[in-house]
Amino acid sequence: MGLLQEIIFGLVTGSYIAIAAIGFTLIYGIVNMINFAYGEYISIGAFIGFLAANTLPGPLPVAVVVAMIGGGIVSIILARGFFTPINHTGPVPMLLTSIGLGIVLRNGLRLVGGRSARYFETETSTFQFDAIPDLPVGPVDLLGDFFVTSEQLVVVGSAVAVFASIHLLLTRTDVGIAMRAMGDDESLARVRGIDTQLIRDSVWVLAGVLAGLAGVLMAVQTNVSADTGFSHILQILSAAILGGAGSPYGAILGAYVIGLVLAVSTAFLPSSMTGLSSAVAFVILIAVLLVKPSGIAGTEVREA
Amino acid sequence: MSLLSAEGLVKEFGGLRAIDGLSVSIEDGELVGVMGPNGAGKSTFFNCVSGVISPDGGTVSLKGSDVTGDSPESLAHRGLVRTFQNTRELETMTVRDNVRLAAPDQPGERTLPALLRSGSMQEREGTVRERADELIEMFELDHLADEYSSNLSGGQRKLLELARTLMLDPDVLMLDEPFAGVNPTLTREIADHVRDLNEDGMTVVIIEHELETLTELVDRLIVLQQGQLLVEGDPEMVLKDERVIEAYLGGDAK
Amino acid sequence: MSVLDRLPSGRGDRALIAGLVCLLLGALFAVTPLRAQLPSALYVFVEVGILFVIYGILVLGLDLQYGHTGLVNFGHVVFFAVGAYATAMLTAQDTFAGIGLGYPWPLGLAVGVIAAAILGAAVSLTSIRLRGDFLAIVTLATAEIFHSIFVNFENIFGGNVGILGVPRPIASLVSDSDTRLVATLLVLGGVTLVTLAVVTRLTDAPYGRVLRAIRADELVTRSVGKSTITYKTQAFVYGAALAGLAGGLFALYNGAVAPGFFTIQVTVTVWIGMLLGGAANHRAVLAGLSIIMGLRLISRFALNVTPVSGDVFASIRLIVVGLILVAVIRYRPAGIWGDPQELGVDQ
Repeated sequence: MGLLQEIIFGLVTGSYIAIAAIGFTLIYGIVNMINFAYGEYISIGAFIGFLAANTLPGPLPVAVVVAMIGGGIVSIILARGFFTPINHTGPVPMLLTSIGLGIVLRNGLRLVGGRSARYFETETSTFQFDAIPDLPVGPVDLLGDFFVTSEQLVVVGSAVAVFASIHLLLTRTDVGIAMRAMGDDESLARVRGIDTQLIRDSVWVLAGVLAGLAGVLMAVQTNVSADTGFSHILQILSAAILGGAGSPYGAILGAYVIGLVLAVSTAFLPSSMTGLSSAVAFVILIAVLLVKPSGIAGTEVREA
Repeated sequence: MSLLSAEGLVKEFGGLRAIDGLSVSIEDGELVGVMGPNGAGKSTFFNCVSGVISPDGGTVSLKGSDVTGDSPESLAHRGLVRTFQNTRELETMTVRDNVRLAAPDQPGERTLPALLRSGSMQEREGTVRERADELIEMFELDHLADEYSSNLSGGQRKLLELARTLMLDPDVLMLDEPFAGVNPTLTREIADHVRDLNEDGMTVVIIEHELETLTELVDRLIVLQQGQLLVEGDPEMVLKDERVIEAYLGGDAK
Repeated sequence: MSVLDRLPSGRGDRALIAGLVCLLLGALFAVTPLRAQLPSALYVFVEVGILFVIYGILVLGLDLQYGHTGLVNFGHVVFFAVGAYATAMLTAQDTFAGIGLGYPWPLGLAVGVIAAAILGAAVSLTSIRLRGDFLAIVTLATAEIFHSIFVNFENIFGGNVGILGVPRPIASLVSDSDTRLVATLLVLGGVTLVTLAVVTRLTDAPYGRVLRAIRADELVTRSVGKSTITYKTQAFVYGAALAGLAGGLFALYNGAVAPGFFTIQVTVTVWIGMLLGGAANHRAVLAGLSIIMGLRLISRFALNVTPVSGDVFASIRLIVVGLILVAVIRYRPAGIWGDPQELGVDQ
């Protein structure tokens, strides 16, 4: 397969990672915690979407909307139950709690949904682009024929729509502006009369909605199982940190970097070692933390 | 040659110059006060000199060697120790352990002597404990010695911090607002301790807002304004200086 | 009162003596015709007990890092795995896949410890300055990287099969299975007790005072002249080396290593054990670990009497484990035996 095809795969992966990474990084920036259970929010979104698609009449977009609403509701309930009560304890207890919650949710999903993976039934049309000249360099073909499916176009299109909405939300609405202010300096935001708990709640809902969307898109591309989100959590986290933890724009950039690196490393690695491509993403993550801990654009994470 | 001197120190925070070409020198055995309105750069000056932050420009020298940008631990080894404006106790440790920790040259702080419980470790730990108990007693904290320092009052914390720094037997002691939030009796007590230490030969630099205590205590006053040296000299003279009255005392002047 | 009387001793030394007695008894079973008989009902206890003492070394190392120094290592399993793989690859004979060099086991064990320590040094040199939750992420990512390396480089690490044919020194001395289990438990338990004695000596000494000071306030610790980066690096490397020791012992007990033994589940188990017992207290973290691993025992028994499948049961057990972690942090942040004031948490 040509590199061009891998790049298309990379853009698709980057798109759903980006949607999730925005939610993840908003929680980081405003609640000040690394939410390791976020992968399970995505899996829950995928399950809700799958249920909706199979029980409700109507096209897939209806299921997507149901998954987004469901994701938002689940997220705020979990936040109220598990994270808001320990908001004052600092980042490490919050991270540990999210790890515990993630184990509970993941295994809860396994109990309810069983261990086998399920697949969305979607009608897909494939657009084939043939007769692209090959440009071999060593074993790798830098051009080559490629195809794009309608599913892939939907994923990328959804991501673009999300980026635009998030941008409008953060720049044009009171809630969004308050979110940015809180991300910059919480005590200053409080002095200015911003209801910080209300903003935190809004962020939880928003992150849940994004997780619901990302869950359905991921599931359409891969499958629905208890591990749908968990298997992507480190990539999401890498994207968020790469872009500078707390910065939604950085997270988008980071997600596409991760998506492309995964795809391109698949093209360059021998076929017996494609499993290493996820490791490549973590190597990048560690390298970024070492060279520029603040990410491409973001806040300081080194101490003293 | 001065014991401690700063030449042309500059430190910027986000484009604002907290200190701007500040030059100060302190002689061996002096007792010096540093004052100035909020934002004059007193704490930044302390932080630069004690290695907590690195200055963007200028040099710091201690006992004739250039120590610009050195770490707090290496400055402590060279005999310069400081306290913090908002007292920083090791809250999860007892008063005793707070003081004992600060002792220098402890063999038991290295892995092998600690594991083997070597003779040198036991001997040093004995003297450390004795000295720590002396200091705790000197500051009348003995009834609290086994309390976690998070249980101490504000004034007691100032005393503990002083005891902790004395454990290092410093040549230069830098105190950041030692009287802030302390009741008058304790203020007098701390001032007496500082005077005694100075009479025994220790060089002391104090940042303080409590002017009355400060002017009675120190040999020399340095007044900062907007990151620069405004006036320095004999406390009585400095307080009468018109620039000081205008810049610092303003409407509060008596 | 002389200085000697006032120095803490007792606690660590009792563990040392107990550990040496265990090692001696274990050696007796291994090299003399002395034989032990186990009622078959106890088998499962001894097996879980052996795993517990191995994990015990892990939790002691983790507690040195987190409980005493405040370093958040969420990839502890990687040091366990590297110790195990290094030992296995150096000593294995006729492994099915991957490298087996067939060297004597003491050399393999030593290399396992050193390899884990070197990895610990590399991680701490690069990342020890990061904020707590970011150090957690770097260590976690390191563990994932090594996991996929072990799986993917089949020619070297044997892929999902792992390294087989690792010598089992105790099994090779004792043929009957009862005695072998008892001797293994005694020897490995002895090593764990000696480890307990060693870390207790370290943390009771002024060395431990510096570590606890770093956890409390690193800047103050520096301003009284302690080189905190050195101490943090040392504590991290010691913890990693202990995990490497545990890994090497595991390989020599199990006779094989494979990626499936070294999942994030191991990290989670020792973390929960530590937090449940109470960080910064060596005996408490061991007790906490025993509770979590006891749960494993109970679930094994319960599995036999309930009609559900093994998969369902495993999920239920993990849900309980996750809820324990969440509940401990929320309702008992200092653990069962930890001191809330020493750990700086509200109870």
